[in-house]
Amino acid sequence: MTALAAGGSPADRIAARLRAPTGWLLALLAAAWLASVARAPEDSLQGVVQKILYVHPPLAFAAYLGFVLTAVGGALFLWRRDEGWDRLARSAAEVGVLFCTLMIVTGPIWARGTWGRWWSWDARLTVTLLLWFLYLAYLLLRGFTEGSERGARFAAVYGLVGVPVIVLNYFAIDLSGGRAIHPENLQRGSLGAGMGLPFLLGVLSTLAAFFHLLARRIEVEGMRARLAERTQGMRGEEGRWAT
Amino acid sequence: MSVVLAILWKDLVTEWRSRDRVVAMAVFSFLVVLVLHFALPARDAAEARRLAPGLLWVAYVFAALLGLNRAFALELENEALSGLALAPADRGWVFLGKAAANFVILGAVQAATAVVFALFFAVDLWAVAAPLAGVVALGSLGVCAVGTLFGAVAVRTRYREVMLPLLLLPLLVPVLLPAVDATAGLLETGTLRWPPVQLLLVIDAVFGIVSFVSFEYVLDE
Amino acid sequence: MSEAACAVAVEGLEKRFGPVVALAGLDFAVPAGSVLAVLGPNGAGKSTLLRLLAGLARPSAGQVRIGAAQDGDRRRVRGRVGYVGHATFLYPNLTARENLLFAARLYGVAEPGRRADALLDEQGLEALSARPAGSFSRGQAQRLAIARGLVHDPPVVLLDEPFTGLDPTSADRLAARVRALATAGRAVVLVTHDLAQAAALGDRALLLVRGRVAFDSAPAAPSAAALEAAWRAAGTA
Repeated sequence: MTALAAGGSPADRIAARLRAPTGWLLALLAAAWLASVARAPEDSLQGVVQKILYVHPPLAFAAYLGFVLTAVGGALFLWRRDEGWDRLARSAAEVGVLFCTLMIVTGPIWARGTWGRWWSWDARLTVTLLLWFLYLAYLLLRGFTEGSERGARFAAVYGLVGVPVIVLNYFAIDLSGGRAIHPENLQRGSLGAGMGLPFLLGVLSTLAAFFHLLARRIEVEGMRARLAERTQGMRGEEGRWAT
Repeated sequence: MSVVLAILWKDLVTEWRSRDRVVAMAVFSFLVVLVLHFALPARDAAEARRLAPGLLWVAYVFAALLGLNRAFALELENEALSGLALAPADRGWVFLGKAAANFVILGAVQAATAVVFALFFAVDLWAVAAPLAGVVALGSLGVCAVGTLFGAVAVRTRYREVMLPLLLLPLLVPVLLPAVDATAGLLETGTLRWPPVQLLLVIDAVFGIVSFVSFEYVLDE
Repeated sequence: MSEAACAVAVEGLEKRFGPVVALAGLDFAVPAGSVLAVLGPNGAGKSTLLRLLAGLARPSAGQVRIGAAQDGDRRRVRGRVGYVGHATFLYPNLTARENLLFAARLYGVAEPGRRADALLDEQGLEALSARPAGSFSRGQAQRLAIARGLVHDPPVVLLDEPFTGLDPTSADRLAARVRALATAGRAVVLVTHDLAQAAALGDRALLLVRGRVAFDSAPAAPSAAALEAAWRAAGTA
């Protein structure tokens, strides 16, 4: 079989190698993280809601990372026509949208607890919402295109256009004077005592969760392709790769 | 290059013969303006000037969505889109031809809409007509670039009328923000502010190049 | 004719994506001046094959070569192939002449106006040249579609089930035209459901089932009987 077949592609190989290590890491890190969060001091002003700090920014990293991987996977697919890269793109989108949704849910909870309102239109929130819509459009495009290869190609183009859109949006919103009430980037030392460790563990466990889910998702798609290859003799159809 | 002109000619002649796209876009656009007028009545001239930029661009975006959908629906009749895909020319030129035709037709509708808008909202657009036309043109370039690219995509999906707005609106946000901003500046002060125009130029360049290059992958079967 | 010994060569051609396999390895060649008939049930991969030959899609593996220069560049392939599909690719609001004019410009043909007029004459459509293509009958539209497919004088012509929906007179005329294309030195690939037509027109016939060649009439010319037997044997139920 050529490299196009499942299993031979670099994306599949990386996924296979990542799955177990990230699974273990996730278990360990999550346990450590929960423990450290429970022990972390409660903020005097914000109360327990402040602990979303340990959850929300890590989710943000994962959400944006997901989109970057979707775009990169799509670009590699268009260039190389290797299905493995398309599996990466699709899986990254599915896992990424999950983290993005969680991010959008935890954000307002935190905001309500600290600033007193559910939502605001500052740059970061707006762009995140936009990212969510881009994810959604990407997944709908894949779902509604007739023909799997065409769907993969169209989605790859969309992912590619999406990246400059996200970047340009930051400039566009800053320009129109989006008021920044979202907390600025955390700098070293700006976290209070006792907050550094849970935050770091939060980032690491979220990333571990992200890559673990991604690896599993890629593998499932790979298995599906291999299974279909084997049954091709019994059931091969022209199918709907095109119209 | 001649491919670009051939497609531009073909689209404009086809449109001229039936005029259905232009008329549909224009009527729809006027209705949108009407509805907006009822939904957001401006109590005085100052408020009208404040609301105008956003509302005008809302009408423009809706007209564009309608036009882009129709542009490729026409190509599906007799699978003419495949006919275009068969050409040995670089598909970027095919893209340019379609985008140019969309731009011209959208521009005509936008001009008519501006007149109606000025009438309903009692806003003096004529005084800033030239720079306004420039801003609208810049915005439309961006809209037509990604709009043409994804119009060709959406037309080959299920629920294509819904798919195009779903795909396009998130992408249009970076075009709309500076466009509305520049329009607002124009109406408030009568002069064109450079930062939003600059951003529009960058966005148009990025969208234009990406769409030109990606059209190759979109026309494949 | 522009190029003399032009041929179509297909090597190890595959088209697959994920669980779907459209073509699973095809090898054949079509010499200039001959007609290859491709048959098969729905979903066998016939249309996919034509699309790959026309340069409309990229193969997953293998090569499509068109022309003595033996290149795999898809844009050049498209320039050397004339495709007449199910659909006509015509714009109903444009006249017959305008449709051909547009196609000529699209293909970069020199003196598009003259070429359009010449093609209209050739297909017997001069009387209809100023009528909108949308008003044509099926037979007339198809003649115009063929003219459009030939606008750039391609050495290879692909026809996708062109006999569908034609009355007997038009069908006969079309058959004669297909023969004439081959006689003039072009390589013709004809996809058809009609076993009799395949036997009558084809110098060689391939039966495709599920993306593979189930029957190849070479080296003999196909006979209706052999094709029917092969069709039944392939268990196309």
